[in-house]
Amino acid sequence: MASVSAKKVFKNYGDVAVVHGIDLDIEDGSFVVLLGPSGCGKSTLLRMIAGLETVTKGDIEIAGKRVNDVHPKDRNIAMVFQNYALYAHMNVADNMSFSLKLAKRPQSEVDQKVSWAAKILNLEPYLKRYPRELSGGQRQRVAMGRAIVRDPAVFLFDEPLSNLDAKLRVQMRTEIKELHERLQTTTVYVTHDQIEAMTMADKIVILRDGRIEQIGSPLEVYDHPVNLFVATFIGSPAMNLLKGETVAADGGVAVRSGDVLLPLPQTGKVEAGRKVTYGVRPEHLDPVSGSDGIPAKINVTEPTGPEIHIYAELAGEEICAITDERRDWKRGETIGLKPKLDRIHLFDAESGMAIL
Amino acid sequence: MEQSLPKRILRDITAVTVVAIFMFPLFWWALTSIKPMYAIFNKDEVVVFDFVPTLINYAVVLLGWSRAEIAIESGSTFGVGGTSSYDSRQTIIDSIIVAVGSTGLTIILAVLAAYALSRMRFRGREGFLNWVLGQRFLPPIAIIVPLVGMYKVAGMRDTDNLFLGYIGLIVIHALMNLPIAVLLLKSFFDDVPKDVDEAAMIDGATRWQTFLKVVLPMVRGGVAAAAVLCFIFSWTEFLLSLFLTTIIRTVPVKITTFVTSTGSEWGFISALGTAAILPGFIFILLVQRHLVRGLTLGSLKE
Repeated sequence: MASVSAKKVFKNYGDVAVVHGIDLDIEDGSFVVLLGPSGCGKSTLLRMIAGLETVTKGDIEIAGKRVNDVHPKDRNIAMVFQNYALYAHMNVADNMSFSLKLAKRPQSEVDQKVSWAAKILNLEPYLKRYPRELSGGQRQRVAMGRAIVRDPAVFLFDEPLSNLDAKLRVQMRTEIKELHERLQTTTVYVTHDQIEAMTMADKIVILRDGRIEQIGSPLEVYDHPVNLFVATFIGSPAMNLLKGETVAADGGVAVRSGDVLLPLPQTGKVEAGRKVTYGVRPEHLDPVSGSDGIPAKINVTEPTGPEIHIYAELAGEEICAITDERRDWKRGETIGLKPKLDRIHLFDAESGMAIL
Repeated sequence: MEQSLPKRILRDITAVTVVAIFMFPLFWWALTSIKPMYAIFNKDEVVVFDFVPTLINYAVVLLGWSRAEIAIESGSTFGVGGTSSYDSRQTIIDSIIVAVGSTGLTIILAVLAAYALSRMRFRGREGFLNWVLGQRFLPPIAIIVPLVGMYKVAGMRDTDNLFLGYIGLIVIHALMNLPIAVLLLKSFFDDVPKDVDEAAMIDGATRWQTFLKVVLPMVRGGVAAAAVLCFIFSWTEFLLSLFLTTIIRTVPVKITTFVTSTGSEWGFISALGTAAILPGFIFILLVQRHLVRGLTLGSLKE
């Protein structure tokens, strides 16, 4: 087990810079997810940690030691690839024992490690099978088995679940999480799927265009996004955003968007006359009947089972509100929406940085 | 998709016809080899099946029977003229040595070159690929005279040194086959995802171990296909073998000596020709179980 750090890491491909000076400390034993849209540099960062890409500038450290010039095989890491990258000509047992055999470990240790991994991953009946004879989930488990038999200091996962079907993805997600709880090995996990990130991570690192936008626990980045990008990237359905201007109203400050007045908590931190983006998550907008809330006209409703998603027009924008109230929400009906004051986000319109 | 009956019949007829067209020369050649002389040459009619089969032609080319023995056996000396030796046992051995040797040499070099071209980025890589392909643009006949001169100077003609003569022919056949083998194998290496190399590297394999233990076994099918092609090209190559050798006689060269000043020995030609199919056939049988695409199946998620 070991900590991993990136210190002012840059990566250029020719003239194209893909990673711009990333600083990141990953604690020993933690599960860190690198999250971001495609092309944000998350895989490149992971591959630099693995040693599969050279570092243009800056340092990568594993267990406090600079590893920029250390060969991948000497970094004491194990990696699970997006497409598994199994050895098609070897059976499951040979796939898993390949690294141990290369390290010339005694046969008894190899056998013991392989059967231990097979047991953890429920692969015992398949040890003599070839990858082509396995299902997607089983292949995924073989790839993980190949990683855990080595007892590495760091696990690296590069979007390992992206091609599995939805049900299997949920199941494997739990298995990876359980594996981490059990082995307590430092894990760096790359994904573009925010649900994966939220459910698995101790800490989420949100990247965009080769820069870190925010680092924090899943609930931190959800409840306190530092900017508009993080606010919209995390959460589904996405946070509602309304452009407007702060105005003095009723002895306090509110946001005027079109002809609608949006309430703000009176913290005294916000002055009037500022261009802002008002953000509220769908689950913090309570639909109320009558003239109590902000008036909105229902466009569509989507029942998901536990709750109903109401898409409505408010100040010329389509917004989403979530309710679990079982009543007949009619298209075209005007309802009132009441934002939860303590869960409101306010961003500077220009910089996109959070004010509240 | 289920096809309608007329369509199926039409398809089957077409398939049978095409196969028949390709098989007929082979069939006729094999038939000729077991015909007695009067059935091969008959100015009045084409003899198809109306003859007594004989193995004399095979006895001559494969067992080295003499002209006297043939005369006794067939009761006639018709068509047994000329001064050539028809004993082709050494010829078949020569051909096997050259074909196996050049195939082995080609595959060893091509596998290494193809892996490097597929996986490594180095200066002039594109140019190298074009240069490799360019080798095939030049017809061998264009270089035959300087080549013979070079071999003579190097002492690699079989009249100087029989062993070097074999080496010389093996090398030139390997050079001839190398471009096609490299390009073919490169496409197979390209099919193996780079992630597999990287996984092996992280698992602790050196570049060489990655190549030998992981990637090469995954392109077995490609190696087999390339080997079959090289073997067949070498086995049937005529021009270079003719010019570069005198004592060593490969099958195509030997067969031309059956065309003599007093007539062509069609019986012997067809017997040797038919017999010469066999080693190639056996070679293909040996490697054909590897001749399947999709050996990388299961390595990736689909």
